[in-house]
Amino acid sequence: MIKQRRSSLIVVLFLAVAVLAAPLAARAETPTFTVGWSVYAGWNPYFYMQKSGILKKWADKYGIAIKVQRFDYAASLDSFVSKNIDACTMTNMEALDMPAAAGVDSTAIIVGDYSNGNDAVLVRNNLNFATLPGKPIMLVQKTVSEYLLERGMVLNGQQAQLRSLKLINTSDSDIVAAFLNNKGNQAVVTWKPLVSQILGDRSVHSIFDSSKIPGEILDLLVVRTELLNTPNGQKFAKAITGAWYETIQQVVAGQANAIKYSAAASGDSVDSYKEQLKTTALFSSPKAAVDFTTSPALQQKMNLVRQFCFQHGLLGQGIKSVDDVAILYPNGAVQGRKDRIRFRFNAAYMQAAQQGKL
Amino acid sequence: MTNLSPFDIQARPNRLLMQALSALVFIVCIGLYTHTSIVRHRDNPEDRIVPSGAQLMAGIKSSVLEPAEESDYIPPDNASTWELVHHSMIWTDTMASGSRFLISLALLIPCVVLAVHIGLFPIFGAVFMRFVLFFDKIVALSLLPILFIVFGIEEWSKIALIVIGVAPTMVLDTIGMVKAVPREQIVKAFTLDANNFDVAYRVVFPQILPQIINSLRLNLKPMMLFLFAGEMIAASNGLAYRIAIMRRHMGMDIIIPYVLWVALLLFLIDLSLRILNRRLHPWFQA
Repeated sequence: MIKQRRSSLIVVLFLAVAVLAAPLAARAETPTFTVGWSVYAGWNPYFYMQKSGILKKWADKYGIAIKVQRFDYAASLDSFVSKNIDACTMTNMEALDMPAAAGVDSTAIIVGDYSNGNDAVLVRNNLNFATLPGKPIMLVQKTVSEYLLERGMVLNGQQAQLRSLKLINTSDSDIVAAFLNNKGNQAVVTWKPLVSQILGDRSVHSIFDSSKIPGEILDLLVVRTELLNTPNGQKFAKAITGAWYETIQQVVAGQANAIKYSAAASGDSVDSYKEQLKTTALFSSPKAAVDFTTSPALQQKMNLVRQFCFQHGLLGQGIKSVDDVAILYPNGAVQGRKDRIRFRFNAAYMQAAQQGKL
Repeated sequence: MTNLSPFDIQARPNRLLMQALSALVFIVCIGLYTHTSIVRHRDNPEDRIVPSGAQLMAGIKSSVLEPAEESDYIPPDNASTWELVHHSMIWTDTMASGSRFLISLALLIPCVVLAVHIGLFPIFGAVFMRFVLFFDKIVALSLLPILFIVFGIEEWSKIALIVIGVAPTMVLDTIGMVKAVPREQIVKAFTLDANNFDVAYRVVFPQILPQIINSLRLNLKPMMLFLFAGEMIAASNGLAYRIAIMRRHMGMDIIIPYVLWVALLLFLIDLSLRILNRRLHPWFQA
């Protein structure tokens, strides 16, 4: 009896050891990096990058392995913050309020594009910014949608009315059905391709979109700074940057496969994807991206974003000042407290691509 | 002290040991959490995924004692604690979710009454029985787009989701209970000059009421689940609304207290139903 119990105990212990040891044993020889991306016109090319073999070519050049994985947007950020993936696509706003505000020092190595009309404020009944307060507005709260709405209010002189906006937090997966199915819904803020679907209803029209605030909603590839400071991390940054510009040039040139696979990445038709690209300001050449990232205008735009994040409590409960989550720019300028840099723009890899040094 | 083997049905541990054993798993969980939190904070002092005790306290304080962002109220310098709580996130959210929950609870009462009729009166059975059996198999969440059209995106679509999600199960459960009442009793009641409604409401219903309450207790969690699903899809207040919002920037310092608060609320509702059942039906051994 006792013997039996002892032997079962040994089995349990053995299993526990095996389970704990498995991840250690499974660690591969070549350093492997994982990039998370989510569905968006400016990020779909990551899907093509992998399918076409461009990514493998660049990874092999640096003797590393890179995997790209598609996520739900929120889940990709969760994984990045919990350090399950090494790099992730995100907007400048989320880069600030997710990893940076959670104390994960992050660096944007690729500034891929900015939304140039992809995000829009749509209304029924000829509402405008003056008549919007008090009407229910459907949107995914605390995202660039809310930022866009506030910017629209401010630019149309309705800043004083900001507090009387009546927001209804609506999941992006249901927002089209929920808005279109009831004529009582007056306003909605969302992004493409959802915008295009909603505009299919003739009674709805757009009163504001991100082309009026160019460069404020940026789409980035963000890497953990800690990783970037290791030799392997730098190889990774070089490989992914090289692969990105090779990919994006094919997309911009309208190479058939590049468009086809990028559209397929989100289940869109080629036509719909081309339509989305029109309102996405892609930095197709590294030079354009470097010029934008090193320009002083970026700091002004980021200032608007970080103030928004702070005012809405997105930088965390303990943050008392907007300067507590500081941003470092390529020219060495720091926005915020110098001892609390949490988010960095690094143009070095894009510059290397520009000079053909990758 | 001899019989303390975990595999001894006759074991008789004393009260102290019993309580210590019940606390054991709780302590292990809290210990594991604290350990993870400490490890993560050593690595990153600002970690938000597994908040430390201090972060949790700050989160609780801001959700209980600071006016919610949506509230128009701006606290005067000498605001009383009650005023602060009254405008806090947790209060407004609990009130919003609570009213949705209670309205759906109230709407379940006519459903249960209908179920008694279906089980007892053959004509009712003929009309509703097959429909309920079929309707029960429809996944309520898949009806959401239709609910949005019929009830709009405000309160009633959420309440309808809860009722549609839970009512068929409760109705079927109640019908089963009605059918289980011995036929002899009903015949006997008729011989004692009872009429149809006497049989329904003075013989059958009081007998099955304790079981209905137990069935409701089991359905509390599905109700909460549907409430949360509704609030996460479209809402401007409520407990799940807050969790959905906080998730977007990793506000685990608020989410964890909220999750525990919801668990506590459900536990209290369940407890009060249990006590009510024991008071009303001391003869019923559940």
